[in-house]
Amino acid sequence: MRCMAGIFLGAWLGTAIGQPVTYQLDPAHSWVHFEVEHFATSTLRGRIGPVRGEVVWDSRAGRGEVGLTIPTASVDTGLKILDTRLRSAELLDSAAFPDAWFVATVFRHDPARPVITAVRGEFTLHGVSQPLELTAERFGCRRPADGSPEVCGGDFVAELKRSDFGITFGLPFVADRVVLRVQVEGIARR
Amino acid sequence: MKTPLIAAVSGTLISLLATGAQAATYAIDPTHTFVVFEIDHFGTSTNRGRFDKKEGTVAFDRAAKTGKVEITIDTTSVNTGTAPFDQHLKSDEILKTGTFPTAKFVGDKFKFNGDKVTEVAGTLTLLGKTNPVTLKAGKFNCYMNPLLKREVCGGDFETTITRSQYGVSYGLDWGFPDAMKLIVQIEAVKQ
Repeated sequence: MRCMAGIFLGAWLGTAIGQPVTYQLDPAHSWVHFEVEHFATSTLRGRIGPVRGEVVWDSRAGRGEVGLTIPTASVDTGLKILDTRLRSAELLDSAAFPDAWFVATVFRHDPARPVITAVRGEFTLHGVSQPLELTAERFGCRRPADGSPEVCGGDFVAELKRSDFGITFGLPFVADRVVLRVQVEGIARR
Repeated sequence: MKTPLIAAVSGTLISLLATGAQAATYAIDPTHTFVVFEIDHFGTSTNRGRFDKKEGTVAFDRAAKTGKVEITIDTTSVNTGTAPFDQHLKSDEILKTGTFPTAKFVGDKFKFNGDKVTEVAGTLTLLGKTNPVTLKAGKFNCYMNPLLKREVCGGDFETTITRSQYGVSYGLDWGFPDAMKLIVQIEAVKQ
């Protein structure tokens, strides 16, 4: 009972005080998955990460700040030759651009609940910065039963044209449109 | 002895002519064939993983609208990007890869819309248990690959399995879902 009371009190305090909370990304559950069409036939997928960084979020005020670093050399498609090609100067050029970044300060919220629905900011990839909006397919927070800090996260999706970032190798056989599916979970810093 | 041989040869020729010689065997292209799974993580986000090693063949006939596909997946090749998670997935609590190092999909009921495959039904054998599954195509296409100089057919398929049917019930009591989505990219090269 004391444990339950603690959870409710904590949730109530979190909402009532409405202070910004800093969430550190959990490397086991923070990945960028990309999808790109191959010869207009099937979808080629890969994973980059874990994503590093933090999110500051004031759920009451509906404001926040995101700063994420994505190590491009970590790209993993399940195919070593393709990974090597992706890291090469023809594509991600990981030697020259070892990190991609996403920084954002525009948060959209569900008007009825303290839930993030989208985050708009700037994505820097291959040395080129472009606006990018990540839309939440779902978002939620949980307070683990063992009393460890609150975890917030979700699944976000975004689309970009790789040519906008100067990555044109393999066009048009490998499509220009890239879908990013981002899994993210952040642990509240105490 | 001569007559049956000639009969057999001419029989083959007739059946080839009858199908317009469209029945063909395709070898799975392992570089564009992957199985990805998605499963909920505490109602917050989606965990994804992939099986990296697989092999198989596809035979299908666009005129007769029939086909057969067999894919064997090396369950020890599961890859989530997180080594401890991979070890746990391979353990006796989940995939038991020590005892069951492979999973197999055999599909022999093809549905077509025109000359495009829309659905492949068959069975999935995982952890030694066999259950019916139907893979639905999100897209399907055939093209002439300029590098291989051969026809390649493939697409994106999806299905949702109930993991407890295969004896994988780990975490069900804590709210991890029983339903697991499988997303399949497949391309196969005409032989």
